[in-house]
Amino acid sequence: MAGRAQIPTRNAGLIAMIADEDTVTGFLLAGVGNVDLRRKTNYLIVDSKTTVKTIEDTFKEFTAKDDIAIILISQYVANMIRFLVDSYNKPVPAILEIPSKDHPYDPTHDSVLSRVKYLFSAESVASGRR
Amino acid sequence: MEEQKAETHNTHNSESGEEEAHTLIRQYHVEDQHVLQFLDSLDGYLTLYDSLSSTLRQGWLELASARHSMGASRVNSAMLDLKFHSAATSLQVTQNDVGSKEANFTLCKWASSTNANCSSGEEKFKEDKLQTKYDSPQLRQRSKSQFSETPEQTSAQSESSLIVDDQVQKERSKSLSVFGTLVSPKLRGAQLSFETALEMLVEIANTRSTMLSAFDVVKRELEDIKG
Repeated sequence: MAGRAQIPTRNAGLIAMIADEDTVTGFLLAGVGNVDLRRKTNYLIVDSKTTVKTIEDTFKEFTAKDDIAIILISQYVANMIRFLVDSYNKPVPAILEIPSKDHPYDPTHDSVLSRVKYLFSAESVASGRR
Repeated sequence: MEEQKAETHNTHNSESGEEEAHTLIRQYHVEDQHVLQFLDSLDGYLTLYDSLSSTLRQGWLELASARHSMGASRVNSAMLDLKFHSAATSLQVTQNDVGSKEANFTLCKWASSTNANCSSGEEKFKEDKLQTKYDSPQLRQRSKSQFSETPEQTSAQSESSLIVDDQVQKERSKSLSVFGTLVSPKLRGAQLSFETALEMLVEIANTRSTMLSAFDVVKRELEDIKG
């Protein structure tokens, strides 16, 4: 059978946010806010009263939606649901951990970098090159 | 005769040995390429995050300044529009294969039904740089060449770009109007900073995709070597 040409699939996608008030407000100023007919938004503002369960449910809801392409999540919020974030491995929606005002970006906590640091462990490199 | 046979056998063995060595060298060359691609994308990922952090810091500072000048009651999440509306800024996602792990994201800023201003973050940076370059008087062409545009083409292009710019400004103003009719210039500044941050985030998403794809290839090759 001859090789089939791969047709690129194009989908329109929203940018969802799970972050603190200032970060969400800033990105909403940039035009990413979406409110559907059921008055459901593509963002969750996390404050001191937001429970971990709410964050987990929102994360699961956003990752299950077809119309979301990227999820921005403050890294300190991602740390609250680290197990859930690290176990997610689909290409779309892409999960991007972002810094917040009080919590700068820490590459050691980034879930993507945690996945690839396997390559830098002495065991994997040494055993592969013997 | 036997010596000749041994020589032929030895020659044949050394030739096949050389071929095997060349094959191995080619294989390792391929591996090195993938490792380099992975390391390059990892470096790009971390560098972009540095830039993103400073852009976001600027945006937060401008937002705080706007809140200071306009009042905390005017710049807070209670003002956000909860009526039905679509996002003015969205993404186009391209995947070569349904099961493919590599996706490409393109930002469509301030897109309306009549206008779509889509570009990847990298293209936007390059466009901005090019625009700055051609605005420089040193590159002004004094003589006409076969590549120079006709006045009609230039005016048509500038007219369409003006229309697009107008549309973009309208969408920006609409977004700002949530916080009142007259807003602080710092709030406008914050809006631009967060727009820039969005472009960087799209670049980060694309770099992440490339990095994970290169990582998968390198990991598979390492596992093949281990056997």
